[in-house]
Amino acid sequence: MEDKEKVITESTVRAPKSTTPSTIKAPEDVGAIGATIKVVIDGKEIRVPLGTTILNAARMLGINIPTLCHHNDLCISGVCRICVVEVEGMRTLQASCAYPISQPIVVHTHTRKVRQARRHVIDLLLARHYGECYSCVRNNNCELQQLAHEYGVDFYRFGHVDKPTYGCDNSSYAIVRDMDKCILCRRCVRTCIDLQEVGVYEAVERGNKTRIGTFMDNPMAQLICINCGQCINRCPTGALHANDPSDAIWAAIDDPTKHVVIQTAPAPRSAIGECFGLPAGNPLTFEMNTAMRYCGFDKVFDTNFSADLTIIEEGTELILRLYKALVKKEPVSLPLFTSCSPGWVKYIEHFYPEMLSHLSSAKSPQQMFGAVIKTYYAELNNIDPADIVTVALMPCTAKKFECNRPEMNSSGFKDIDYGLTTRELAGMFQEAGIDLPNMPKSDFDEPFGTRTGSGVIFGATGGVMESAIRTVYELITGDRIDNLFEHARVMPVRGFEGVRYAELPITKVGPVPDLLKHLIPNWDWLKGATLKVAVAHGTANAKKVLENIKSGGKLSECHFIEFMACPGGCLGGGGMPIPTNEEIRAARARAIYAEDEASEVRKSYENPAIIRLYQEFLVDGPCGHKSHKLLHTSYMPRGKKLV
Amino acid sequence: MQVLDRVKINQEISDLKKTYGDDRSALLPILQDLQEKYGYLPNLVMQETAHALDIHPVEVESVASFYSFFRRKEKQGKYVLRLCQTISCDLSGKAKVARQLENELGIKFGETTKDGMFTLEYTNCLGMCDQGPALLINDRLFAKVTPEKVPQIIADCRRDFVKSEFPKIVPSNVKKSGPILSHDLKPGEGLKAALKNTRSGVIGLIRESGLKGRGGAGFPTAVKWQLAGAAQSAKKFVVCNADEGEPGTFKDRYLLFDHTEMIFDGMTIAAYAIGADKGFVYLRGEYLYLKKHLQEILENRRQNNLLGENILGKEGFNFDIEIRMGSGAYVCGEETALIESLEGYRGEPRNRPPFPVDTGFQNHPTIVNNVETFLDAALICVKGAKWFNEHGTEKSSGTKLFSVSGDCEKPGIYELPFGITIEQLLKEVKGENAKAVQIGGASGRCVARKDFNRTIAFEDISSGGSIIIFGPQVDMLEVAINFMEFFVEESCGQCTPCRDGNVKLLEGLKLLEKGRCSVSYLNELMRLAETIQLASKCGLGQSSPNAFVSIIENFKSEILGRVPEKA
Repeated sequence: MEDKEKVITESTVRAPKSTTPSTIKAPEDVGAIGATIKVVIDGKEIRVPLGTTILNAARMLGINIPTLCHHNDLCISGVCRICVVEVEGMRTLQASCAYPISQPIVVHTHTRKVRQARRHVIDLLLARHYGECYSCVRNNNCELQQLAHEYGVDFYRFGHVDKPTYGCDNSSYAIVRDMDKCILCRRCVRTCIDLQEVGVYEAVERGNKTRIGTFMDNPMAQLICINCGQCINRCPTGALHANDPSDAIWAAIDDPTKHVVIQTAPAPRSAIGECFGLPAGNPLTFEMNTAMRYCGFDKVFDTNFSADLTIIEEGTELILRLYKALVKKEPVSLPLFTSCSPGWVKYIEHFYPEMLSHLSSAKSPQQMFGAVIKTYYAELNNIDPADIVTVALMPCTAKKFECNRPEMNSSGFKDIDYGLTTRELAGMFQEAGIDLPNMPKSDFDEPFGTRTGSGVIFGATGGVMESAIRTVYELITGDRIDNLFEHARVMPVRGFEGVRYAELPITKVGPVPDLLKHLIPNWDWLKGATLKVAVAHGTANAKKVLENIKSGGKLSECHFIEFMACPGGCLGGGGMPIPTNEEIRAARARAIYAEDEASEVRKSYENPAIIRLYQEFLVDGPCGHKSHKLLHTSYMPRGKKLV
Repeated sequence: MQVLDRVKINQEISDLKKTYGDDRSALLPILQDLQEKYGYLPNLVMQETAHALDIHPVEVESVASFYSFFRRKEKQGKYVLRLCQTISCDLSGKAKVARQLENELGIKFGETTKDGMFTLEYTNCLGMCDQGPALLINDRLFAKVTPEKVPQIIADCRRDFVKSEFPKIVPSNVKKSGPILSHDLKPGEGLKAALKNTRSGVIGLIRESGLKGRGGAGFPTAVKWQLAGAAQSAKKFVVCNADEGEPGTFKDRYLLFDHTEMIFDGMTIAAYAIGADKGFVYLRGEYLYLKKHLQEILENRRQNNLLGENILGKEGFNFDIEIRMGSGAYVCGEETALIESLEGYRGEPRNRPPFPVDTGFQNHPTIVNNVETFLDAALICVKGAKWFNEHGTEKSSGTKLFSVSGDCEKPGIYELPFGITIEQLLKEVKGENAKAVQIGGASGRCVARKDFNRTIAFEDISSGGSIIIFGPQVDMLEVAINFMEFFVEESCGQCTPCRDGNVKLLEGLKLLEKGRCSVSYLNELMRLAETIQLASKCGLGQSSPNAFVSIIENFKSEILGRVPEKA
């Protein structure tokens, strides 16, 4: 297997950007003469590479400079002016986040002028920031509140608005916009345009009338928004938050006629501890199970089960498409695109509707599980599906939109009733007085309770691909993937590079397994073939891949491509604990891969619950009639025109 | 809109892309043309433009909403009447003209008449401060408007200015010429002289002359050219900042009309000196009426090989100039905001460093100089450094053009040497009675009588040329309010101190007007003003509280403890 390589260069795609980047390029060779510069900050000295910002130099020295508009995932902005510092010899204060060091300088971070300016900036932001902290979803996790505290704000120096100016936009299933709390840091703008290339927000008007607007001032539900929620994760205040269904879920729990089941996706368990003060990367899978039962959920299931189910269905779809293309010479759309990420699905529906035929018809694990619960599980336990309330704990805000798609009711009932984010479940736990890290551990409920690593890695970018490779490779070759990759770690598809490409040669083939016998006579046609795959995360990277395919680039030769709307995959999802950054996402990934290694099943087709499901319920096999009805869906070419 | 419209609009946009290019920097010109055609920018137009340029519709709306000349909601009238609301026009009776305009049209400011003929708006400085009140109707300028003239002006509009008694072009008002304005050079003469020199020789000559930027900041021109010349890049740009928006400034308007050739000579010399092959004149939207004149001259120069390829036989020296219009945003006079605007973005100043000489238009080295700077540079190339720097002071060499308006007998354009005292200047313009002088426009400083012995020079009181004189009858609080209203409106809105801070300063002035501001709160506002000066992102923000601070400092007794007249 070829190692991952860079297949996309930045210049291949013209990208809109929220602002012209103005930085000084870092030297290629840090060891070269003149490549590093001496800086003195608050009397401490350090040598930094040319172009390092004052903020980063200060951080290297352990000196804290407050920030607000700055975010490590986003380009430099320098608009809030909270991070100003005094540079000797300069008349004005400099924004440390935006000042690239190009000559030796002496910096002071807390002189009178600096303290006064910071305090004024906070006072000015508070003067127009409507609302009270105790009625805000971000109470105790708000950057503005934190700064007000740190800088000793004890009165509204420049007054305070007592009436809302904009009102709250609740129209979207996923994202609530409360512009009265907006402080114009423009992180959402940079997130949506630069990071995701969706372009919902921009600053409109100017001067004191400046606000963050949407096209035609449309409400969120009537925009080209993919519901990824990345803007929420980067909003410093409560101006952007998710549409929280927990009251309705409590009501269902309180209703004795309802059988309330919750499925938990892989990513939330890796991060929910962060809501309880734990550092990132401390999974609380089994504590969470106990806590959910304590809250009153009747059953606690693991979405890993339906992740495995997705692999079987999507993997079969891939094999069938390859078979049609290579053997029957029928026209089929290749590469096949994954469809697990509802943000990604809406992205392609809006921006590349002409490529929808590439999208796997398999529902996402969330929806598959819902359909299975309201059919198979309901029959098994003799419960009227009308009385079942399915809740999905997800790292994702787009899942809230997905579960409300009108087509997602093939059993006659809504597959999933409520999509709940990690943050919101943590809120429910807190409301129930649960100290999550200290809960006793307990397992998932049967009949879907097998601990499966091939499901859990869905939480990280590349996970679906890795899982698919493990299963498809073994089904085709009859060989163990472990012989190719130590501990079945398919390293070429792991990591955080935006687009990753890998090749997997099929040197030998085995017998067709029972599960697929009715679809494929033999594997001979794959012998000697090379399976080409790619992985992309963040829709800006997805765009690069799609453009590469459209222009007949290297990626158009791929057979299978995994797309995740969020940077990092689900573990960077819009419903995950705030804040987020590269280190936090890496820590969550480590937790996910550790759970994979500790699992009894690490290949989807070996999951006994899956085998049982096909034996007892989906008897016409993967991609059969019944699974098509329940587990597959169709898409809508939405386009990007609002008028 | 109908499907047909969409097809038609897309065809228009694709034609415009052929004219202006298909990257984002074509956005403003395309929107300007579309607005001209449709009278506003309908949502469909913004969306289709966005998709044609491969950007998001909200980005187009963001840009359109930034510039005050674009309209998004309702169609503008056939004639858009823009009355100047700057202090100079205030002083010459704007309020009465405004009232009469409303009376005659039957609408308020910000509205359009039902028949779609007239839209009435305020605008910031039209550059007619010496001949106010000024009214701009589409691309036609009216000076010294009085309430009596209003009905006739409107009647002329209705007749589409056929047989109008008003002059098409308002003559400029040069009251005193010096070595610069009285030059007798022919087109290309400056350029010819420069081309006899080496590139570094040209820069050396400019350095020797001591020429500093005439926009007001006073950065040494030679250093700017030297840095851009030394930068390694396949492309470099020369930009003429003709976004003369500083309230009380009108000398560039005159220069662009009467000294056009020498300005273009100067730009071409700069291109030669730094190695650029493309230039822009960023002309403020209010000066649209100058565009045709400039284009004619450019065309002439192309014919005479003063532009184009191998200029004047200099092998490999290629340069051409394109005129780009602003759309009503004062902040675009800030050089990085101007570059952003040229690139098709909101006119929001960039972080510096890096500086434009290194990372400018589309990240290429770019020099941005004032109109007057280019003129001076061209003349220096012919007449030498000594001819230039024998005037002025050691640190502020040469003569400077001043735009004088307000309470004096002889408002107009003056060429005077740097280092002149305010007293001398007032004598020259016959405004000795002044109680205060605003030097440098809204972003400048208000100087009271006691400081009239100070000099105008980069090392003392710096100025881009705007001089507004306030007679004894002027209410300084009203002046301060006028300036702060200007900044609240013209702040780009990106950084907190300027966007929100100036609002608080203005609110404070309104409290003072009501006689309801405590001295302790006023002191707090003075500290806030210091913060705005220190912590704002750009020069506009940093200078926005200057008028506030200097007026409060100089006229506290006039301003405190007011008892408002009962309504």
